[in-house]
Amino acid sequence: MIAISQLEFSYTPSASPVLKGIDLDVPDNALFGLLGPNGAGKTTLLSLLAGLIPCPQQCVFINGKDLSTPAGRAASRVSLVPQEYAFYQPLTVRENLAFFAGVQGVPAKKIKQRIQDAVAQTGLKERLDSRAGKLSGGLKRRLNLAIGLLDQPRLLLLDEPTVGIDPHSRHFILETIRHLGATGTTVIYTSHYMEEVEELCDRVAIMDHGRILRSGALVKLLAEAPQTGHRRKSSLESLFLDLTTRDLRD
Amino acid sequence: MGVMIALIRKELLLLCRDPHGLLLLFVMPAIFVLIMTFALQNQYAMNKEVTLDFLLFSEDDSGLSRAFERELATMAPLQRLPTQSDWEEMQALAQADKVKFLVRVKPGFDQLLVDREPAVEILFSPGTSPVFASVGQARVTELLNRLYLRYRLATMPGVQSSLEAQSSDLVQTRSLYDDSGAMPSSVQQNVPAWLLFAMFFIAIPLSTTLINERQQGTLLRLQSMGIGPVKLLAGKVIPFFIVNLLQVAVLFLIGLYMIPLLGGDQLTLGENPEGLILVAVAVSLAAVSYALLVAQIASTIEQATIVSGVLNIIMAALGGVMVPRFLMPDAMREIGSYSPMSWGLDGFFDILLRNGTVVDVLPEVGALLGFAALMLSLAIWCYRRAAPERG
Repeated sequence: MIAISQLEFSYTPSASPVLKGIDLDVPDNALFGLLGPNGAGKTTLLSLLAGLIPCPQQCVFINGKDLSTPAGRAASRVSLVPQEYAFYQPLTVRENLAFFAGVQGVPAKKIKQRIQDAVAQTGLKERLDSRAGKLSGGLKRRLNLAIGLLDQPRLLLLDEPTVGIDPHSRHFILETIRHLGATGTTVIYTSHYMEEVEELCDRVAIMDHGRILRSGALVKLLAEAPQTGHRRKSSLESLFLDLTTRDLRD
Repeated sequence: MGVMIALIRKELLLLCRDPHGLLLLFVMPAIFVLIMTFALQNQYAMNKEVTLDFLLFSEDDSGLSRAFERELATMAPLQRLPTQSDWEEMQALAQADKVKFLVRVKPGFDQLLVDREPAVEILFSPGTSPVFASVGQARVTELLNRLYLRYRLATMPGVQSSLEAQSSDLVQTRSLYDDSGAMPSSVQQNVPAWLLFAMFFIAIPLSTTLINERQQGTLLRLQSMGIGPVKLLAGKVIPFFIVNLLQVAVLFLIGLYMIPLLGGDQLTLGENPEGLILVAVAVSLAAVSYALLVAQIASTIEQATIVSGVLNIIMAALGGVMVPRFLMPDAMREIGSYSPMSWGLDGFFDILLRNGTVVDVLPEVGALLGFAALMLSLAIWCYRRAAPERG
């Protein structure tokens, strides 16, 4: 699905690289956790995959499409769900969904069906005519996700999709993502909630200072993790802290 | 095409859900037009019934001073108010702005007149405008000169006095504004002036939506969906251009129908209204481009509101929106000529006041389009410069 080899990236030619020698393989239908402290380069990597930043070299491929070309970016069918509530608060759920479907070029006669599918997947059917700004935090997260599903993406990039919501909404969103993975969507999931990633993802990469420090199947990485805590249990969090050092970053 | 329709529809929906934006763009200028048109009606209406009311206190009882009293009361636009008050009370009334001025006829009026000494004293009320004060003074001086000449001629044997005619009868006046001789009214000044002010105020709602999009991640999302800068900019320019044209329609309709209903003059569109459309389009492009630049420069909504609000008021003050430029001294008029609002206003006046044609507005239209191109180029440069730089 995604094949990245020796990706180097800096925002300006004179600036120090933000991504250094990234090698990454994400298979089809994977639920892939991308972890890293603030400033590790996760957002830059997601921006490259989402086509927000043009790839400088021929080293990022999605389904064989070269992301360094506009045609490759257009054909890669990637959808980014940003961490922010990236929709229009004064518009209703339906108006937001119709707008984002329209700008993605969904044909007018298919928009209604796409909206129905997206709200069915995210449990927003009863809220179609509510103003987005009046929704609770959990519903807003679900609308954020629903917009990302409108174009039926093959690759879904989720940037901390469960920040600031209650356990029920978090559970619902995780179940939705699990269902997406089971039905053929590849998901790249970034989060600071390690237990969430452990629960959801089958593969994980940990990055810091622009490099991938570890990458592979979750079970394999957990086997490497040091045992910590009074129950001496190994966890993704202990591996993450071990690899990225325990120093404060902010 | 579907993408542009979605972007335009979204922008118009957002504006419809923004009561503050609607108040700013439509209600505020409508109120300004109504207030300023009626407030400044007398400043423009030379063909209207303007009266300068005054009180007269005479300390002389000669035939000549009685003639002065009698004839002054008949001189337009002066209007003597009847009163039984003494001089002290009259001064109190003038001090309270109840009349425009006081006229005191001094004792020994005849002799003072013959000796070419001040025979009359005029006291202006604090609220009397300099224009009205000079009109009042000119009329009194004119009458004194006439009385003096009449007196002199009467004392010369064999000469018949023929100074009964009003001096104003000796001059014919005609306005180049229209064939009926009418002068432009305040509605002709105020409708285009406040329309321009309102058109440039789209900077606030436009920059608010753009900054919101930047802060809330919707801009990033749209970019990730393949919406490039050209479509994003066009998605702002087109709907706000439509809004600007709606403002033109609303304010012209107010001038055409609402102000006459309220007793004011009707706005006349001149003989070449197509010139108005051309100016309106150029003003709109200038205003939208300026708004895009404000949105790119400001990083918060508060900054955008303050920057665009203050700049708009400065451009309006210099450009003749708030104070007509013909009232400004030469230096201020020169400075004001660099304000895009003055270009727009001159363009509108070419049609509304000077009966100009499309060719006459081309210099102003060209200046506005140049300004629009400069603002748009700067906005695009700022947009590209602020491309995502995140870790």
